[in-house]
Amino acid sequence: MLGAVESSQTSPGSRVLTPHEARIERGEPIGLVGDAAQSKRARIQRMLEGFRDEPIHLNIDRALLLTESMKATQGQPMVLRWGKALAHILTHHPIHIEDEELLVGSAGPPGRYAVVYCELVGPGRFYTHPHELEPSKSGDPILITEQDVATLKDEILPYWESNAYHAATMNALPEETRRLMERIFVVTPTASGRSMLAWAHDYGKVLERGIGSIRREAAERLEALDPVDTAAYVEQRPFLEAVRLVCDAMIAFAHRYAELARSMAADERREERRRELLEIADICERVPEHPARTFHEAVQSQWLVQTVSRLEQAIGGVVGNGRIDQYLYPYYRKDVAEGRLTDDEALVLLESIWIGMARSTDVYAKPGMPSLTDGFAHWEATTIGGLTPDGRDASNELSYLILRSKREFPLHYPDLAARIHARTPNAFLHAISETIKDGSGFPKLFCDDEIIPLLVAKGGSMEEANDYCITGCSETKMLNTEGIATGCAWINLGAILEMTLRNGRMGCYGDGLVGISTGDPRTFTSFDELWDAFTLQVQNVVQHTFIQQYVSDTLKSQYIASPMFSMLHDLCMASCKDIHSGPIDGALYLGFFDVMGFGTVIDSLAAIRALVFDEKKVTMHELLDALDHDFEGHEAVRQLCLNAPKYGNNDPTVDHIGRDIEECFARLARQHTTAFGGELDLRYVSVTSHVPLGAVVGATPDGRKAREPLSESISPSQGMDVKGPTATLMSISSTKCAQYKERAARLLNMKLSPASLVGEAGTRKLMALIRAACDMKMWHIQFNIINRDTLLAAQKDPDKYRNLLVRVAGYSAYFVDLTPALQNEIIRRTEHEF
Amino acid sequence: MTLNYKSNGVPQGLIFNIQKFSLHDGPGIRTMVFLKGCPLACTWCSNPEGQSASPELMLTCDRCIDQEECERCIAVCLEHVLTWDDDGKLRIDRAHCDGCGDCAYVCPSRALEVSGEWVGVDDVVRIVEEDDAFHARSGGGLTVSGGEPLAQGAFVRALLEAARSRGIDTAVETSGLCNWKTMRDIAPLADRIFFDIKCLDPDKHEQVTGVSNTKILDNFQRLRAEFPEVDVVVRTPVVPGVNDSEDDIRAIAEFVDDAGGASAYELLPYHGFGEPKYTKLGKHYPLSHLVPPSEARMKELRGIAASCGAPGSGAV
Repeated sequence: MLGAVESSQTSPGSRVLTPHEARIERGEPIGLVGDAAQSKRARIQRMLEGFRDEPIHLNIDRALLLTESMKATQGQPMVLRWGKALAHILTHHPIHIEDEELLVGSAGPPGRYAVVYCELVGPGRFYTHPHELEPSKSGDPILITEQDVATLKDEILPYWESNAYHAATMNALPEETRRLMERIFVVTPTASGRSMLAWAHDYGKVLERGIGSIRREAAERLEALDPVDTAAYVEQRPFLEAVRLVCDAMIAFAHRYAELARSMAADERREERRRELLEIADICERVPEHPARTFHEAVQSQWLVQTVSRLEQAIGGVVGNGRIDQYLYPYYRKDVAEGRLTDDEALVLLESIWIGMARSTDVYAKPGMPSLTDGFAHWEATTIGGLTPDGRDASNELSYLILRSKREFPLHYPDLAARIHARTPNAFLHAISETIKDGSGFPKLFCDDEIIPLLVAKGGSMEEANDYCITGCSETKMLNTEGIATGCAWINLGAILEMTLRNGRMGCYGDGLVGISTGDPRTFTSFDELWDAFTLQVQNVVQHTFIQQYVSDTLKSQYIASPMFSMLHDLCMASCKDIHSGPIDGALYLGFFDVMGFGTVIDSLAAIRALVFDEKKVTMHELLDALDHDFEGHEAVRQLCLNAPKYGNNDPTVDHIGRDIEECFARLARQHTTAFGGELDLRYVSVTSHVPLGAVVGATPDGRKAREPLSESISPSQGMDVKGPTATLMSISSTKCAQYKERAARLLNMKLSPASLVGEAGTRKLMALIRAACDMKMWHIQFNIINRDTLLAAQKDPDKYRNLLVRVAGYSAYFVDLTPALQNEIIRRTEHEF
Repeated sequence: MTLNYKSNGVPQGLIFNIQKFSLHDGPGIRTMVFLKGCPLACTWCSNPEGQSASPELMLTCDRCIDQEECERCIAVCLEHVLTWDDDGKLRIDRAHCDGCGDCAYVCPSRALEVSGEWVGVDDVVRIVEEDDAFHARSGGGLTVSGGEPLAQGAFVRALLEAARSRGIDTAVETSGLCNWKTMRDIAPLADRIFFDIKCLDPDKHEQVTGVSNTKILDNFQRLRAEFPEVDVVVRTPVVPGVNDSEDDIRAIAEFVDDAGGASAYELLPYHGFGEPKYTKLGKHYPLSHLVPPSEARMKELRGIAASCGAPGSGAV
């Protein structure tokens, strides 16, 4: 009862704009923020001009070269075939150096591009079948020419149609599992949408050793292979040969850029640019073959590894940058100490990486398909802060410099992630809070005090766990410890609820059984009976999810290998095995499955318990009748549902249902083992899938109408957490089953009004909020500091607000690029105002 | 819901809201406890539900679904105070409503709600402590507000004692109108007192608040004289046409200075956010259309306050 009535506050009432909002209201063109930045990093400023207007070209060169090579190597060991294919790509892929560029290397044509990963034919990728391919129409975000379509249909796709990993994973499923998976968006396998889940490379290893040293290692070990040991000879030789091939090709790839730079320099009349091109040539002759000596060499080496990675395979969410403030720091410190580098020069190089990432676009859903990751999101997660491997605070001058870049650099890359721990210096947290207050949604925050103990419990060493990096939107990786994680399945908890209420069926799939028969709820006499039915539906879905994952894991190595990725992984090198192949000695296999619609289902179960069983305000019959009619003609029932207790308000009776749901999944996760002896952990990261997943779910007892979005990630249902952010955080904390290690990311979006964080006092309060959230061991938290009015105005006048960034789920995107359904969903998220 | 002042000997307070994550009523992140009942009736009051000292029915007409679908409230009301008017809108005969809340319990859409619930000290402390982590990290705590909290002196005293014994930072927001004895008991229990002084002219004060300011000013002087160590922040809501002249502000600042000063003098701009609640209570809002003072005007007035020796506050 308490708090049901809003009371007025003494807080300042006038509308306060974030710096980001103010820049957009002033109609500023996209560019660096501030005169000083614009003049001192004029090169970046010029590169940004018109960036948002550039069309996105398809890169089918990589697909053509890959197909050509794969056709020629049929029958050879898979890792060698992929090694040869990558070498073929690196030798023949067109290269270019754009004017203004200091950092060279691109996985596509000049400007913005999207690589076609033809090996991943299947739903989730940007086409599902060749006959659906069409040239783009004017206004489409991606430019697809008639020539592109013809090449794809004639030369590329026919080969992959018969060699498709996706089709294999579906054909190999047991009948019951396939039936469940074929019902769109009930359980959504994503294994074949990318060749692996989000990852980063051990860039530090390349900077320290150089690719040349890895090549030498491979060559020496090839030399040392003893034919007497037949098994080792047969198994390891193709891997080592592939590594040697790929090292040579990477070095040659860099040399191609050196050569191009030299020839461009010869024709260059501008003295300064000529000098720059010659420097580029020198650097590309040096790295990544040799250890980097300077910051510039280090950044170039990292970027070339990243570029080759993009050409090798589609890592989910695109390859991350790892702990960039750690592995680049020695080079930065040395150059600064020796007077070779200023902060602005360092920023130009870093921002060149950011631009390089922003040019690349990850194409998933084809236009018109339900969008699973709205706004063409990709996550080259870039980690700063946290602990050193030996457990000290890791923040350094470079960490602060990257935060400064985030405040001054206008694009939504890099996807910046800051690790926070109990001893994070106040000064670092202050800089983070000021950056968050700028209003474009960065950085997202990760709590070491939650994540590190979990990683240790799962089997990591303290040293490796302390050194984890963020990958994707909210995953973590111990780069040289973990084995591959195949794309995980999305479990639609809303669908499970509907199956519980409809005795195994779903409205949108007719009379056929989708789940299992668990009885007609009208005959249930207690909430416990309903709960038992619900857990049986969960159990059924989880079992098939593990079956599907097992099949995907075991089939993968027959289709895909990644020698470049593998040679940078300690364990793969040690065992001479590709990352995609079977269990690798010493590797921890930590996958996960996502549960979508957590808040929606907690609220629905809470409403049923309160209204039907405790208060008896409606009967189950009336409720199900109202749901069948999508509440049409049942407004009173809908109002009762909407006003029943909700998750997110620190109401222990409601939050306990969430805890029970988590325990139910975690217990099942503990019972199962994956193909490679690992675990699949419970995760709540919906990205934007809660919108399309909601579209198959009928009306729910929380008052949600049919086909509306489900709740997002771990967040309460949109607009239902009305007691402020502390109550929201308390609820989320209360639903956690800390006794299980079978847990992974819980992604939390929190919207705060700019007015509540005004001035230094506001910054301090945001710092305190973040500290308290870490005390409560939140895995992840990110803030949208934005006025609701701004979002509404952006819907009305998209042109003016073209550059408005909002936090979506684990990433920021341009608001106007999102679908209207997702825009509305973001507007409906609760804005905490004080 | 019982209308008892005490339950099993434990004082209960009549509370209309507990609001978490308040950032503007004391240091750090605070939990606000709003007590119902106030001897003043300021024309600009932004918490009109805090005025009456008993539970009241609030009606939010936009939430009410149409009478074809629902008449649960009318069916359940024993006093028959609920009816449909000619426009099909729900009406309350407030003169005969006893605030029992039966209608609110059955209302599916929260169109009907009862403002005011009797809650014991232990329950309030439990709710406040839910935000321990946030209080600890921000240096925040509990702020008791209203209404006029000191109108429920025994409850506030018990609440502050309980809070202090558990290490919770405490603040009280008061209009200053209460028995000196209540103020005297509360002062040593509060880490900070926010003391409203609305205007010095007694006639004008009576005109806009319904009461004279004699007792308020007297309490302030005694508070400063007898408890000089207590952290007192003086606040004035700046209401255009009421107390927004330079003379008004200067007079208050000088009075405060003469009385022994304050740790800060905060001027808060009037706002009209409370207006919708008047409608819900079936009350008339006298200041509809009043324009809040501009940021520039507030700056001028703060300058004047500062020139009289009143330390400003960065909090606003």
